[in-house]
Formats: sequence, structure tokens, C-alpha cells
Amino acid sequence: MILSSSSTTKGLFDVLTGGEPLSYFNRIYLFLFLPLVVLIYNLTPKRFRPVILIIASFICFFMMSNKLIVFLILSILSIYLSGRLMNKVDDKTEKALKKCKKTEKKVVKEKYKKKKKIILVLTILINVAFLFYFKYLNFFAGNANIILKWLNIKYSFQILHHLAPIGISFYTLEALSYIIDVYNSKIKAETNLLKVTLFLSFFPQIMEGPIARYSDTAESLYSGIKVTYKSFCFGYQRILYGLFKKLVIANRLNILVKIIFNEYMNYSGLSVALGVIGYTIMLYMEFSGTMDIVLGSGEMFGVKIPENFRQPFFSKNISEFWTRWHISLGLWFKDYIFYPVSLSKPMKNLTVKARKKLGNHFGPLISGTVALFTVWFLNGLWHGAGWTYLFFGMYHFFMILMGNIFEPLIIKICQKLHIDRKKKFYRVFQSVKMTILVFIGELFFRAPTMKNAFEMLSRIFTKISFKTVKNGELLSLGLDIHDYIVLILAIIFIFVIGLLKEKGKNIREDISNKDIFTRWILYYALIVIIIVFGAYGIGYEPVEPIYADF
Amino acid sequence: MDRLKEILEELQPEVDYETCENLVDGRYLDSLTILSLISEIEDEFDVEIPTVEIIPANFNSVKNIWTLIEKMRED
Repeated sequence: MILSSSSTTKGLFDVLTGGEPLSYFNRIYLFLFLPLVVLIYNLTPKRFRPVILIIASFICFFMMSNKLIVFLILSILSIYLSGRLMNKVDDKTEKALKKCKKTEKKVVKEKYKKKKKIILVLTILINVAFLFYFKYLNFFAGNANIILKWLNIKYSFQILHHLAPIGISFYTLEALSYIIDVYNSKIKAETNLLKVTLFLSFFPQIMEGPIARYSDTAESLYSGIKVTYKSFCFGYQRILYGLFKKLVIANRLNILVKIIFNEYMNYSGLSVALGVIGYTIMLYMEFSGTMDIVLGSGEMFGVKIPENFRQPFFSKNISEFWTRWHISLGLWFKDYIFYPVSLSKPMKNLTVKARKKLGNHFGPLISGTVALFTVWFLNGLWHGAGWTYLFFGMYHFFMILMGNIFEPLIIKICQKLHIDRKKKFYRVFQSVKMTILVFIGELFFRAPTMKNAFEMLSRIFTKISFKTVKNGELLSLGLDIHDYIVLILAIIFIFVIGLLKEKGKNIREDISNKDIFTRWILYYALIVIIIVFGAYGIGYEPVEPIYADF
Repeated sequence: MDRLKEILEELQPEVDYETCENLVDGRYLDSLTILSLISEIEDEFDVEIPTVEIIPANFNSVKNIWTLIEKMRED
């Protein structure tokens, strides 16, 4: 049997950029594609502007995924048509309700609800089937082959290297959220195909999200608002901030991270720990930097794309961390998996019984645990078809569960020891503890195999030697002393900005309120810093867009 | 509404429910606490809260939760 493998495509974009990683940090996107779209968009009459955005989005997708654009179109058509069908069912339901007796209303409602459910299930199956084919078939086939071999069965699934459409994990979840919301009557199905098309294919979001809801962006995307001088400057201001994170920090850390994760056996525990911390920071800078570019691009066209990060390292526990890191994914899992599973009829019955026996805290925790397990199993799988990703998911499930189980005990201990949990020192302690747990999670996320991950973790604790600082090992990780200084200062800069945001400061608004002279000095200063201290060119290797492969 | 406040006090005692208007957005109530809360509400007030109603706006304050309960009672 012939199967496919998963890796995103590199099409015309790759040819144009001479092999540079395809991402929003690419010069072609930032300095040619985006300004050109803005120019054409503004020169076009208002009512045709959404069409320009659709054409630009399709060109962008085609450049990255060639003919696999067919699958994006199929997803769009599937949710659009299903939505329209659901609308028809709703209309029929209303007519039937008007005609029937009061006592028959419940039966009529149930009858039509079933029809809607069939449409919903079929649409979900179509979209999940595409995702499964491109991302997971290989993983399951590979594991099936291991089992077949173990059972001495002389049959194996053949694995073909097959490319996946860019952003399939992101737009599939968006498509599912649209159709589930229509099914739940949260939104009315859209009658305009172009509006649905633009919602699902908008070029800044297509590669790495955020996974927006139809009610978040569809209206503003289709409004055709003119790009103004202010929105253009504001957009590029945000893009510059993203470039700073990526070029000055992430690309620089990439050198160290690659060396440590590839050759960890040659380094001390301290260097391995540095590699793991470096990877977590790099991942944050790369992904949140990309989001700055995505949101900045949207801002130009008057589209308020939802934020995907909110100072995650200020969280007090892992559970909160996931409400601040990749927010749109967490919300998606919460709304479409966690609550539907935990509040399903069997789970509700279980909760009622469990509450009687285990009390108010632990009773609901049982159904919550089942839902939490489902969420984190799928979350791990969503990130990639591999055991390290599944472990990453299970690790978070376990940590969040432990946090919930021990919460009452911790509260009691704190009360006995007269520790005020609202005091700053306790909050700092919580954030440090949470950050260490995140580092360990990301170690499994990045490690090539489970064996490597456990070896690295054990090395951190068993091969720790502070001689590393003195013997120059840290300078053999591809970074010189200047790189370390730039990194430390840049990370402090991002940390301070995060701290100010955490305290409720609106830094962008503050900057925009300054006089034109001060404003442009700040912009130019940031541009100069990126040009001078950015890690690009000979000796540096840009970070591949990590989330684009998910 | 007093009974609702009592339930909330039992589930999460470290909050001033008289004044707090960002119970969900301010992370005072997390997903599992909301689960316990829904289970308690359904039991106590004999209503059923569908998943589509579980949005931050409906759970951000005691007043909003109470409005939701009343809405479900009417349905």
C-alpha cells in the first residue's frame, strides 16, 4: 500500500528567494509582495478590494504550495456549501415548527437537528481526512509496520515522501470552527462565497495562524478599508518589532541550539541546559515575532487579527501559560474539545456520581481529566506526527492535572505557613517554577527522538560542571562574547517591554502620541539596531519557521 | 444570587465576588473550576447550560452568571 509523508511544500517562492526559508521574514514578502499588495489594494475601488486580497492570498498560497492549492479550495467549498445547507435546514425547521402542534415541537426540532448533525459530521470528516492524509498517515503507517514486523506478518505499508499544503493544520481548524459555530447557531452561515474564501485564505494568516474565528475577522477583512498613512506606519512598526525578535535573537540562538541538540554528548550539563533554555527563547521569539508580522500586515488593511501571545512567561502555572502562548490554539481546543467532551451527557452523569462520592473539588475533576487528556493528546498530535510531540502533549496534561489535584493542599500549606499567595515574591516563585517546567516540555518538543530527550535531561542533572563557565566551553557553541552580550541586552529589552505591557502600559499608543521627530528617531534606531545587530548573512543560518511545518 | 455566591466561594475562595468583573479574563476561574461551577449550577438551579454558552462574557461576574442562569430557566 502506498502512503504519503508530511512536510510542507516549497514552490515558486523557493525559486524566487534562492532557497531562503519560506516565511514572513523573507525579503520578497516584506519589501516586495506586501507593499505591492497594499499599493494595488489602495488603487482599487473599495468594493473590489476584498477581491484583491483574495487574489493576493491565492498567489501567495500558490507560490508556496503550487497545485496543492486545490485542497485549500476544497476546504473552502466544503464549509461554504455545508453552511448553506445548514441554513436551508434551519429555514425548513422554522416552517415545520410553525405548522406543527406545540406538543410536537421537540420531536420536530430533534428531527432537523439530526439532519444538521449529519452535514456537520460529513464536513468535519472531509476536512480531517485531508489533514490526516497529509500529516498523520505516515506516522500511523510507520508504527503499524513496526507492529506487523513484531507479529511476523510479512506485509508493510509503503511510505512515500509527499508534501503537504502550507498551513493545513491552521486553516483546517479555522474551517472546523466556522462550521461548528454555524451548527451551534453561534453564527449565521455566510451566503457570500468570497467572504468565506477570504476568511480562510487571508495571506498573512495562512502559514502560521492565528486560528481566528469567523466572527473575529471576516467582516473587517471584507470591508475594503483603505490603507492609510497611519495604518501603514502602525503595521510596519509592529513588523519591525517582529524582525527584531527574529533577526537579533532567534537567528543568533539558532547556532547554539543546533550545536547542542545535535552534539549534546560532547557538552556539559550546563551547556545542555543553556541549549534547552536557548531553544525555548528562540521558539518564543520566532513564533511571536512571526505573529507581530502577521498582525502588523493585518493592521495595514484595517483587520484586527486576534493576539496569539500575552507575555506567557509571566504566568503562574502551566495551565495559565497555555492561555498566554499560542492563545488561538488553546481557545480552539477549549471551545471545541474540552467543554464538549467534559459536558457531554456521559461525562455529566459521571460528574454527578463522582461529586457525591469525592466532593466538589475532585468530583468534576474526573470528567475534566478525561477532557484534558483528549485535549493534550490532540494538541501533541496537532504539533506533529511523532512520539516526542505526543509526549510533549502528555507531559502538559500531567503537569496541569497535578496542579489541579494539589491546588487545595498548596492553599492549605500556604495558609499554615502564613504565605500570602498574592505577594510579589510568591508570584515570582510561581513564574520561575512554571518556566522551568516549560523548558523541560520544550526539550521533548525539539529533541529528535525520545531517547535523545531523556539523555539530554539526564545530562543536565548528572554532568553539571561550573567549570564550563571558566574553560571556554560556552564560547565553543558558535557564539562569541559579543553575541552573548547582544543576546542578553536584546532579551532584557523584550522582557522590559513585556513587563510594561503586563502592567497595562500601551507602549505603541505612547509612541504614537510622541512628536513626529521623537517617533521617527525611535523607528530609525530600531531599524539601525536590526541592521547592525541582526544575525543574518555569512556565518548565520536563519531559523526555519517552526510552526509553519505543523 | 446569594446561593450562587456561596457556590463560588466554596470553589474559589480567594476572590472578592462583590466587585470582581473579570473572573474568567483575570484567570480567577480556570476551565476546571468552570466545569465544577456548571455542575453545581445545574444541580442547584435545575437548568442545563449548553457548551455554546460557555464564553468568558457569561462567567466574568456573579451578575453575568446569574443572568445566564435566568436565561436558561426561561428556555
